[in-house]
Amino acid sequence: MLLIPLLVGVGLIGAGRIVPTPVAHNVAGIAALITFGLAIGVAIERPSVDRAWLPELGVRSSFAVDGISIPLVLLTALIGVLVVAHARGEVPDGGSAATFLGCLLLVVGGALTTFTARDAILFFLAFELVLIPMWVLITRFGDPHRPPARAEAGWRFVLYTAVGSTLMLVGILLLVASAHSSDLGRLLEVAPSLPRGRQLTIALLLTVGLAVKVPLFPLHTWLPSAHTIAPTAGSVLLAAVLLKMGTYGLVRFPVALVPEGFGIIAPAVAIAAVISILWGGLICLVERDLKRLIAYSSVAHMGFVVLGLATGSEVGLQAALYGNLAHGVISALLFVVVGGLKRRWGSVDLGRAWPALREVAPHRGFLLILGLAAALGLPGLAGFWGEFLVIMSAWAPRRPGLEDLFHVCAVLAAIGGLLAAAYSLRVARLIWVGDEPDTPAPGQSSEENTPLAPDSTPHVLLTRPSGDAAVDVETRGVERVVLLVLALGVIGLGLLPWLAIDIARPAVQLVLGGAP
Amino acid sequence: MTALTGLSTLSALTAQSGAVSIDALRLLPALAPALGALLVLLVDALAPRRTLPHLVVGALALLMGAAGAMPGALSPAREPVLTLCLPGGPDGACLWSAGPLDSTLQIGLLAASLAALLLLSDQWRDLPGDRAVDVALILASAAGGAAVVAARELGTWLVALELATLPVIALVVLRGTRRAAHGGLTLMMTSLLSFAVLVVGTGLWVMATGDASLSGTAIRTAWAQPDQRAVLVVAILTLFVGLGFKLSLVPFHAWTPPTFVSGPLPISALLATASKLAAVGALLALIAPFAGLADPHPHALAFVVGALAIGSMLVGTVVAFRATDLVRLLAWSTIAQAGWVVLPLAALTTVGHRASVAYALTYAAAGLVAFAVATAVRTAGGEPGSERGLAAYRGLARSHPHVGGPLILALLTLAGLPPAILGLVAKVVAIRPLLAAGLWPLAVLAVIAVVLGIAVYVRWIAVLLAAPEHRTTAASGNNAGTGVEVQVGPGALAVLSLGTALLVVASVVPQVLYGLLS
Repeated sequence: MLLIPLLVGVGLIGAGRIVPTPVAHNVAGIAALITFGLAIGVAIERPSVDRAWLPELGVRSSFAVDGISIPLVLLTALIGVLVVAHARGEVPDGGSAATFLGCLLLVVGGALTTFTARDAILFFLAFELVLIPMWVLITRFGDPHRPPARAEAGWRFVLYTAVGSTLMLVGILLLVASAHSSDLGRLLEVAPSLPRGRQLTIALLLTVGLAVKVPLFPLHTWLPSAHTIAPTAGSVLLAAVLLKMGTYGLVRFPVALVPEGFGIIAPAVAIAAVISILWGGLICLVERDLKRLIAYSSVAHMGFVVLGLATGSEVGLQAALYGNLAHGVISALLFVVVGGLKRRWGSVDLGRAWPALREVAPHRGFLLILGLAAALGLPGLAGFWGEFLVIMSAWAPRRPGLEDLFHVCAVLAAIGGLLAAAYSLRVARLIWVGDEPDTPAPGQSSEENTPLAPDSTPHVLLTRPSGDAAVDVETRGVERVVLLVLALGVIGLGLLPWLAIDIARPAVQLVLGGAP
Repeated sequence: MTALTGLSTLSALTAQSGAVSIDALRLLPALAPALGALLVLLVDALAPRRTLPHLVVGALALLMGAAGAMPGALSPAREPVLTLCLPGGPDGACLWSAGPLDSTLQIGLLAASLAALLLLSDQWRDLPGDRAVDVALILASAAGGAAVVAARELGTWLVALELATLPVIALVVLRGTRRAAHGGLTLMMTSLLSFAVLVVGTGLWVMATGDASLSGTAIRTAWAQPDQRAVLVVAILTLFVGLGFKLSLVPFHAWTPPTFVSGPLPISALLATASKLAAVGALLALIAPFAGLADPHPHALAFVVGALAIGSMLVGTVVAFRATDLVRLLAWSTIAQAGWVVLPLAALTTVGHRASVAYALTYAAAGLVAFAVATAVRTAGGEPGSERGLAAYRGLARSHPHVGGPLILALLTLAGLPPAILGLVAKVVAIRPLLAAGLWPLAVLAVIAVVLGIAVYVRWIAVLLAAPEHRTTAASGNNAGTGVEVQVGPGALAVLSLGTALLVVASVVPQVLYGLLS
């Protein structure tokens, strides 16, 4: 399961332009499908692999899955299939299709390795493996209109995450050096009994390192630029897979292994999480670029997830894992919808008038509304359970003496949920209902647009003559299938939340068993 | 030749205690290149001005040497290969002792010399100079390097270390150009200075321990006495300074960039890899006996090693960020990487030694690949030096993937980023002994250096991946980006393919490397 995407990915990148585009698509598609099939098999059978890999470090190539990782493995494999399928309809400029698909598969393979690794150092290696392919996706295949912004987004992404992961590395090494083992199962027995000071240091290093990836306020600034610039498939991977690696790491390491240390910094984490929620929501109210807006809403959602983790209760942890999963599906859906819009319209600046999506493209419009509704936490859709349970768990945290703080956090998080409703409706009004007259005369609409977008950058206006707004933006072919699968996922997760929760329960109890 | 002088000095030193047992087979790593050097001169006398025989003799000698080191590296018992032992002496009285680490270093060093020789052979058509002399000098340097790694007696150690250095100076100067002479002069001044410092250090060492051998017992006895301990500390610090020049550690690094840029690239590759491995071996031979010392713990030693390492890493990385010339980048990154190599030694544990050797070998493999690419890229009609500029490499990974790809892999290895897992593992392995030894500040500074290093190498990778510039405007690019040619000679091709294969294989299964060392 792990080898297929990695090997095929490397092969495709190596082959570069030699492979004709259709062949590359087929090879990548088959590889992604096999991976998904194997992932389902793994989820049912739960096999484990354990062999010596790097005796010098005591690292074993040991892979296994449990209730925490199974949903994420399935999500990643599914998203892998979807992004590869989506690429059939849309390969961005900037290089050969083989390279693009190869990078996508590498990211998927690296993420799967991360989720299944049962060894701390192996986890770190897999974590890092994703960095370069993602960077290539951003800098080479990103928004073709803005090369300098592309380079800058790539830089930010690499440097932020590199700082984060090296901090995490120090934390992991310290943990391994203190516990004399890097096996996660063994660490779970040994690490919680480490002295308090040591636990605090480890928890601090790991949490700060992983918070960059999550991302948590104030370390989130790389995310919006990366999301805005990345191609659709890259955005989807970034939101649905990479961010999950951060929260997964938080669950696996600080929360599970050094509970005492994490308990000390939990209030700070909770406050940062609440600030993420509010900050993300407030920015979403004024943000003009739709992709950026969704990126900020990701920050807000991940704030919910981290708040759930900080409570330390079983409900909180479950809610966090669930919210994680839900966010993966929802943001993937939204990014596919908006990415398609952006590609066809050239920009998704909310400051100017767009034709009403419900009229020009009812399917896309419906899916956008579905995604937004799920994001604002409408009951019956995926987003609801995660946020609802998080707020519930924050009301009853397992942190003695900190109830008041968490109560305040819960109230503020609920306000954050209101903000989500407000910005979702704003987007719906601007894009779905639309402002532009139904039959725009070309000259007239450009006159209208200019005063509406006084501070939009000149090249956006240059590359976006107003007439283009009339292009066909309805979903087509593969894109429609991809969106349909994601939409079903959103509804399914919303209606049947216990599926994921039941799978995760034993593992969650095991994780919390070590907590005081 | 000088190796033989060294050996005779040594037998003179030990003559009074009776006959020394000599096992020629065990000395093969040093003997084969030394004899090969003689043979090449002989062949040249018989068949002058030929190319192929010289190359074959040189390559065979180096391969034989590496084969001779194999048993030591692969021996399942992990016992050192001993020879030149004093009769009736205890275990530590052998003057040649190549443990698994040393043997692995010898193999790496001989392989790196071979790579440099292959790269040089590509340039024989264009460059002035006598081929036989080239080969003989490289072989002599390799013999010195192999000997210093295993030498356990200060006299031999010193002579072998100089033998590893001096031929390289000749190789730089023999090109006969003005720039080469300048580079050679810098290198020679540095070498002389470091030699003088090393001699002083050796003298102090003998004064402290009363013994010229680098055995653990003598050091332990000396360490127990406060007076002798003080002298010993001064001695080893002096020796560090001397070796700092060879390893190009900050602040003894100033010679490195001018020499790398002015000499021919294959010789720079030799200096950057084989010479560094020899110097690491030399340092290891000095520092290994200190691993077990506890009472009192040699803090001063750890501090100095750590400070040199961190200084090199930070200065090298920061300056490398400004480099717009591939060779200059490699020169400064050599300085930074030398810091990484020395860093784990500050832990003063055997785990640290292994980490250091592993890092050195990883670095050497990546460095050789990068240099092989640098020899292959030329610009037609640019200013001299423009073929190494950032502009010449723009889009190389797209226009010439067979050259650009390996270069990216090499740079990723140096940066320590996956998919080049080898480089990342090497960095993890290097930081770990520090944490185990409780050297916190060093580990944190090393992490900062990692992030800075990523910025340095990713900048180049971005250029390599960028779209090639088809048109250069008259305003900005009168020479840049025009007519970049890539000519991979047979030697460079061999180095590139073998080096890349090594990096890939070792990334997938790192125990290929680490299994040899543990």
